[in-house]
Amino acid sequence: MTESETTARTPLIRIEDLQKRFGSLQVLKGITENVYEGEKIVVIGPSGGGKSTFLRCLNCMEDPDGGSIFFEGVDLADLKVDINVHREHIGMVFQSFNLFSNKTVLENIMLAPLTIGTRRLRKESLRQGLRGYRKAKKELTDRVREEAMSLLKRIGLEEKADEYPSKLSGGQKQRIAIIRALAMHPKVMLFDEPTSALDPEMVGEVLDLIRKLADAGMTMIIVTHEMGFAREIADRVFFISDGVISEQGTPDEFFNHPRQERTRDFLSKVL
Amino acid sequence: MPSLIADFAKKWEKFYHVFAESGGYREVLLGLRNTLLIAVLGLLIGILIGTLIAAVKVLPRYKRVTRFFQKVCDVYVAFFRGTPMVVQLLLGYYVLFPLLGISLPVLEVCIIVFGLNSGAYVSEIMRGGIQSVDPGQMEAGRALGLSFSVTMGKVVIPQAVKNILPTLGNEFITLIKETSIVNFIGATDLCVAFRYIGTNNYEFMVPYLVMAVIYIVLVLLITWGIRTMERRMKRSDRV
Ligand SMILES: Nc1ncnc2c1ncn2[C@@H]1O[C@H](COP(=O)(O)OP(=O)(O)OP(=O)(O)O)[C@@H](O)[C@H]1O
Ligand SMILES: [Mg+2]
Repeated sequence: MTESETTARTPLIRIEDLQKRFGSLQVLKGITENVYEGEKIVVIGPSGGGKSTFLRCLNCMEDPDGGSIFFEGVDLADLKVDINVHREHIGMVFQSFNLFSNKTVLENIMLAPLTIGTRRLRKESLRQGLRGYRKAKKELTDRVREEAMSLLKRIGLEEKADEYPSKLSGGQKQRIAIIRALAMHPKVMLFDEPTSALDPEMVGEVLDLIRKLADAGMTMIIVTHEMGFAREIADRVFFISDGVISEQGTPDEFFNHPRQERTRDFLSKVL
Repeated sequence: MPSLIADFAKKWEKFYHVFAESGGYREVLLGLRNTLLIAVLGLLIGILIGTLIAAVKVLPRYKRVTRFFQKVCDVYVAFFRGTPMVVQLLLGYYVLFPLLGISLPVLEVCIIVFGLNSGAYVSEIMRGGIQSVDPGQMEAGRALGLSFSVTMGKVVIPQAVKNILPTLGNEFITLIKETSIVNFIGATDLCVAFRYIGTNNYEFMVPYLVMAVIYIVLVLLITWGIRTMERRMKRSDRV
């Protein structure tokens, strides 16, 4: 994607002067950036620099203290916005998987689309009369189950559909967490160190899945310490340290020709 | 020593006579039924109220209404934990319901007061249970677009309940034992039934012994039931 192509379109996420404090600690000190549709952003930086906080502000898991996050034209930082509706379109994958441990794999994937779909059906049927609600509900359930199963097939875990998460390996859990997010048809996926909690031999299978998603055109923002993967997948790299994006650029610019002393110092430690 | 045994045998015979032949068993069955009814329904009401209070207490605090309801819950819990249950029972029967203009049978008053009381204790138990669930579970639900209450109801509370099942069992046992105070407002429970049998011929030793045995058997049965339930749940989800 060339520079002129990206600037010609309106960004999917527009971040303006984003600020976040925890008590007296100013973690994000004003971040302004655009993320365009289809872009793969990799976020890198020293521990405690604010990478997770940045990512978690994007879907308001942490409410920003200042600035705006425009997602599809709506400012999510505005507390009057119904954040749940927008979160449906922003998938998030956590370092520690966070599969629902009281639900089977299939139930994990189905819970959100089914609950949210059902609520919509109910609203509609209040308007149009209750007739047909049952039929529609059944169709919804079937459709959601079918889609969940086909997602499971895509990652080759369909035989685990009725298992509980506690019986799965870390790599399997994380891949299921990813397709659980995909089941909501998100427009962007946020990953916070998706492979950091994995045994080394399982990192590959998770990165492969993320790579496939990237190839399919998904917009994504990935916080990671996997430098090789970052270099390979990123359209742009954000270097966050001390609460700001202190340097950003294409992987080639960033890894091969870093401009800032701070970046060079960091890269010399991790590469 | 032999005379003691002979004496006891005589007392047993007297008890047996009143219990089996003069219809004392009917009184005991009624008492047992009431004891169980008050404890079981009380616990159910307690779980409902307790879960609600616990959910309100873990709500994020930034809205004013939330903080108001949290204060109300605090006062409620402080009252029910800070006064003896007998006092609550008397207040319910002689003050609250008359003031509300409601006249209810004693048994129902007992069930409601036990439920309200248990709600306060269960709320603390449940709050501990909710806080013991990994916060990542709530985050994952919210990140998918589910609301706080849906995530609470479908993900967090089921896991919390599993964690606190043994403690809830203890609460049930406490309630069973506490029912022995309902005679203060004239309800019949196990205690009252056995005192009635004893009063029949002023022979209290055997009736009260049998009564204690029944309480112990009840408690052991409940303990066993809870263990079985726990084991079942573990099988479906080993951590
Ligand atoms: N909920 C919170 N309450 C208080 N302080 C927090 C909270 N979350 C993060 N912080 C602080 O904010 C700073 C930035 O944390 P953050 O998790 O965003 O860093 P990070 O770049 O993701 O680091 P890492 O690479 O270790 O994950 C840290 O000093 C951290 O201690
Ligand atoms: Mg982090």
